[in-house]
Amino acid sequence: MTPKNWNLIELKNVSKEFDGVIALKGVNLSIRSNEIVGLVGDNGAGKTTLVKVLTGVYPPNKGEIYIKGKKIDNLTPQKARKLGIEVVHQQRAVALLQPIWKNIFMGREVVNFLGFLNVNKQKEETERLMKGVLRFRSEAVTPDTLVKTLSGGERQGVQVARALYFDADLVILDEPTTALSITEVDKVLDYVRSLKKEGKSCLFISHNISHVYSIADRIVIMDRGAIVEEFRKKDISERALFDQMKTVVKAGS
Amino acid sequence: MDGSSFLGKLKGFFKKYQIEMFILGTFLGLWTLFFLINPRAFTNIYTYTAYMSHVPFMIIPVLFLTYVIIAGEIDMSFPSVIGLGGWVFTAIWGLTGSPIAGLIIALVAGLLAGLFNGILVTKLHIPSLMLTIGTMYMWRGAIMITSEGLGRAVPLKRTTIGQIFVGRLGRVPVQIFWAVALAVVTGIILSRHKFGTHVYFSGDSPEAAKMLGVNISRVKIIAYTLLGVFSAFTGVLLVLDLSTFWPSLGEGYLLLVISSVIIGGTSIYGGAGSIFGSVIGALLIGILQTGILASGISGFFTDFVIGLIVVVAIVFQSIPRK
Repeated sequence: MTPKNWNLIELKNVSKEFDGVIALKGVNLSIRSNEIVGLVGDNGAGKTTLVKVLTGVYPPNKGEIYIKGKKIDNLTPQKARKLGIEVVHQQRAVALLQPIWKNIFMGREVVNFLGFLNVNKQKEETERLMKGVLRFRSEAVTPDTLVKTLSGGERQGVQVARALYFDADLVILDEPTTALSITEVDKVLDYVRSLKKEGKSCLFISHNISHVYSIADRIVIMDRGAIVEEFRKKDISERALFDQMKTVVKAGS
Repeated sequence: MDGSSFLGKLKGFFKKYQIEMFILGTFLGLWTLFFLINPRAFTNIYTYTAYMSHVPFMIIPVLFLTYVIIAGEIDMSFPSVIGLGGWVFTAIWGLTGSPIAGLIIALVAGLLAGLFNGILVTKLHIPSLMLTIGTMYMWRGAIMITSEGLGRAVPLKRTTIGQIFVGRLGRVPVQIFWAVALAVVTGIILSRHKFGTHVYFSGDSPEAAKMLGVNISRVKIIAYTLLGVFSAFTGVLLVLDLSTFWPSLGEGYLLLVISSVIIGGTSIYGGAGSIFGSVIGALLIGILQTGILASGISGFFTDFVIGLIVVVAIVFQSIPRK
């Protein structure tokens, strides 16, 4: 077991600029093991840029990235995944016309030496994840079910299952509850709780303060490329967090 | 839950393959119709041997075009690559006297033609429809220039290579076995191999696949290259079967092959389809050709009917579903 309060990810003074426009300025952020960090901020606050730096899509102009205590240079998306960082995208990271069992293993199929799929293994593992962690309730949903017939929340469940199966240490959820109905939001929040139960860390990004507040251990507010406030959940009420957020946004405009 | 009972499984099978079952039904329906119109032709064994000798030339390119279309692209140039394969085979055999050398170099020519399409489409992001219309004319033009627009006699049908590829086993044309074998292999690869899975992902959700490390460009280049190689192979088979090379070799196959794939349930938007469906599609197009001729209607109707069926199939695919 990894000790608590151990920094899984650490960003030190990370900056990112696009053609003179500053997207991130001197961001310091750490995520401890088995911790859910909620990241809130208005549109254009730099949340998406931060995710892209963390997942190796954009190289930072300045600053250092530490993963599991090791300084990482030239982070690429492949490297990030190997180091245990998985991203759950709103709807985009699933293939709608394919069954769940193919989606979970997309890009990392279980194959024999000739490259043929181990269909039974992929289906069994999918079934195990669906019944276990995901608690897909409907009997009609099987590993063979096409993803297009799943609800928005369940589609993200498929991505969470993927992160779990491949034993990610940090799961980044980028606006996972946007455009979802209340029951669907509950499902997604449930998935995040199961991630925590499995010992994973999460970075949960959202506009919605009450969604973030209901699951995060720590909440970070971003504004214009910088982290402006940081609270432990036990030190602040939802109401106070909301007021804080309003002050930040107002100061910015 | 009767999911495990025989009836339940049967129901599941029909639900999963409903498009394929539908066209299989249409195929049998058409056959019955043509049988009733002209029972004499359709009880004659020669109708069937003729059918089995020409349908493989459609089925082989159909298999690999299915890969390309599921991957979200199109290839209009394969009829010219059929011609190119036939011409290179004929020319090399003429120069060296060796049909084996002709076959190998023809396949290499097809490989290069496919690779050319694949690399340009994926690396330069050129719309594949426009690019392959270009290469279609380019290769056909190259054939015309080098052959001076003249046909050649290629009397190799009775030689070993002719017997292997287009001979007869009893009364059955050997090429049907090649087509069936290739259909089985391509079908298994599409449904059970990593490559096949990535073909679906490339057409269905390229953004997701890229994010998860699937090399979509490589998948598409391989699909185009396979289509190139096997189009050239089809060209060689056609030359052997006809004992003649014509500069227009392959031209008639554009509509026949694309319509087989579309009728077979492969989505024109990519991401869905099956080899089984495409093969039944080809059989259906084949029986239409045979049936229209055998029922005494003018052959001019063939193109009209096939074109109409394609339009109907595409309209059905495009009607938004809930």
